[in-house]
Amino acid sequence: MTDVTFETREIGSLAKPPWRVKAFAGRPIEEDDVAEAERWGRTLELDDRDELVETLRRGELGKEDLRLIDDWSSRYGLALLERAGLDVVYDGEQRRTEMYDHVIRHARGFEQRGTVRSFDNKYYSKAACVEEPSIDGPYDVDEYRFLAARTDRRLKVPFTGPYTLVDWSYDEHYGRHGALGATAEQRADARRRFLLDVAERVVRPNAAAVVEAGCDWIQIDEPALTTRPDEVPLGVEAFNKSVEGIPAARQSLHVCFSDYSLLFPHVLDLDDCFELQLEFANRDSHELGTDGAGRPGYEPLFLFAEHEDAPSVGLGVLDIHTNFVEPAELVRDRIVYAAELLGPERISVNPDCGLRTRSWDVAYEKLANMVEGTRLAEEALNRAHAGSR
Amino acid sequence: MQAFAPGIHPRSEALVQATRDLDRGRTTAEAVDEQFARDLDDLVRVQQEAGLDLLADGMLRWQDLFRPLLEATEVLEPGPLTRFLDTNSFYRAPTATSGEPRLREPLDERYVAPLPGPRIVTLPSPYALAHGTGLPAKVVATEVLKPQLDALEADLVVLSEPFLAREGAGELGELRTALEALAGGPPLALQVTFGDARELLEHGLGELPVEGIGVDFYATHATDVPQGFGKLLLAGVVDARGSALEEPQEIAEFVSRLHDRGVERIALVPNGDLQYVSASIAREKLARLGAARTARPKESAA
Repeated sequence: MTDVTFETREIGSLAKPPWRVKAFAGRPIEEDDVAEAERWGRTLELDDRDELVETLRRGELGKEDLRLIDDWSSRYGLALLERAGLDVVYDGEQRRTEMYDHVIRHARGFEQRGTVRSFDNKYYSKAACVEEPSIDGPYDVDEYRFLAARTDRRLKVPFTGPYTLVDWSYDEHYGRHGALGATAEQRADARRRFLLDVAERVVRPNAAAVVEAGCDWIQIDEPALTTRPDEVPLGVEAFNKSVEGIPAARQSLHVCFSDYSLLFPHVLDLDDCFELQLEFANRDSHELGTDGAGRPGYEPLFLFAEHEDAPSVGLGVLDIHTNFVEPAELVRDRIVYAAELLGPERISVNPDCGLRTRSWDVAYEKLANMVEGTRLAEEALNRAHAGSR
Repeated sequence: MQAFAPGIHPRSEALVQATRDLDRGRTTAEAVDEQFARDLDDLVRVQQEAGLDLLADGMLRWQDLFRPLLEATEVLEPGPLTRFLDTNSFYRAPTATSGEPRLREPLDERYVAPLPGPRIVTLPSPYALAHGTGLPAKVVATEVLKPQLDALEADLVVLSEPFLAREGAGELGELRTALEALAGGPPLALQVTFGDARELLEHGLGELPVEGIGVDFYATHATDVPQGFGKLLLAGVVDARGSALEEPQEIAEFVSRLHDRGVERIALVPNGDLQYVSASIAREKLARLGAARTARPKESAA
């Protein structure tokens, strides 16, 4: 038996550094912000950062300055993930405004429809589909090429999935006529046409171009996938349409903060999806231990145990909603529990979701511990296997 | 035919910014209060201009359908952030500690604002307020909603019920018992928001002890309304979750289908809280809701 090893990776977004946020918002960049850029530049050994620091201190920032700051923000994000020791990296989506808005502002056929409350005093902007959606051309290729030229690690590119884009948008096109009093079948048909068009005309051409540029791993992000349980099969169909004909070595699906039982058995129909990256740590205890009673958050893994032909699991081991830094030993036990349940060959390791709501200090500590915990898990499992030979 | 707009209405872009600024320490509570007052004035004006029969205060300060009542009630508390139905919005789900709930005092004018004319007030239905707390809906009705209703002056109180259409008709009995405990106060209507009411209608939704029943006609087919429906039908004909603007004539055509089924008393309403569209879209929808009262179907238009 070969030694057990687990691949480590991020899921998506990191917070944007204050110097980037302020530069793009047109707010003054203060000395504290520059000091932050210096501090992380030293930590990440970005020795040519003088160019960034001089730009930040300049005051008046032109278009070219913003482009340079955008590049540096991307480099910092990439370097943070490399420094933490991840096997597979990207840049924490530094160039993207937000996972929904990033796509909508590049797509045709959508118009902004103002602000809607998320909860309390938190709000989000929502767009409407007003005509058949499309894109003028791929919009993530430059982002990918920039990073591919600056790392020798494997890159995984995240794409917001069609179901989430549709679910978070209004429909003023497909279901516009006859919506009042429509039958359930009519509503479902309009929804399906909207969804498959977004998959085929927005997500796929962009992802295909990134793969054409050399990327071998595309990750479709679908946080909304289980919002309407009866539409999960439709979400699966849209995933398949999004990746159809794209020759990526790896295609994966990220879902989080959902009832995963709703995914089964539908995810068995995903085409060439080698992995589901799911959130678990958010629902788990902080106690050490590798038996089921100690790992309540990982109970959904039994769904995978029951379905051996299901995709592999990208095991969320970091809670992205808390500053609690998971000790390496806790990460180890979560991985060991999952590996003993499913077999190590079905497990890889990642945070629950993107770490954008955490500071870089917290995100870095969490990720570094995740990598250390992964190594501890490998040692533990290899020791156990050696002992049983 | 009447028209009015119960539920939580959206905040203006100015109020959105003010509340964001308050959270970030960039403005004062007084400044935000002033913006709340401007939003309310504007909402009242829009409803009056639309010719709506009953005015609503839009529940602009309510953080969700339950929060002010939970904060005013012993034993009940705001719980974890929970997705509201199949929307991308969230609410604090009601939870209960041990003991009998008791409304400490009725909601004040911050949450039920005075209005210059006949009015509606929206409250959660007893079933919705008790949902997930482990308390019987009748206890919540008796100890929380009844004292609140007794303190209200309203021409109609709309009890908003978002969960029942998904839970099924088996829960109608519990709701009926709870509604019976609310008798004797202002007229009540139960509005089933954002959901297919077909099964509930088949199992006696229209027989509940309230003056009116609200149905979402973006999820329910007109033929699901029983022939000869005898109560006031709050017809959810404006889609509060869609940005597309309804044509008054289109609404009138739909209403004629309801009349064909023998429904005599109809009030046109949104199918749920208008807060799921932006304020500018909601204002336009209110105007069209009012226009639909007097619109004629295409085939009968001159």
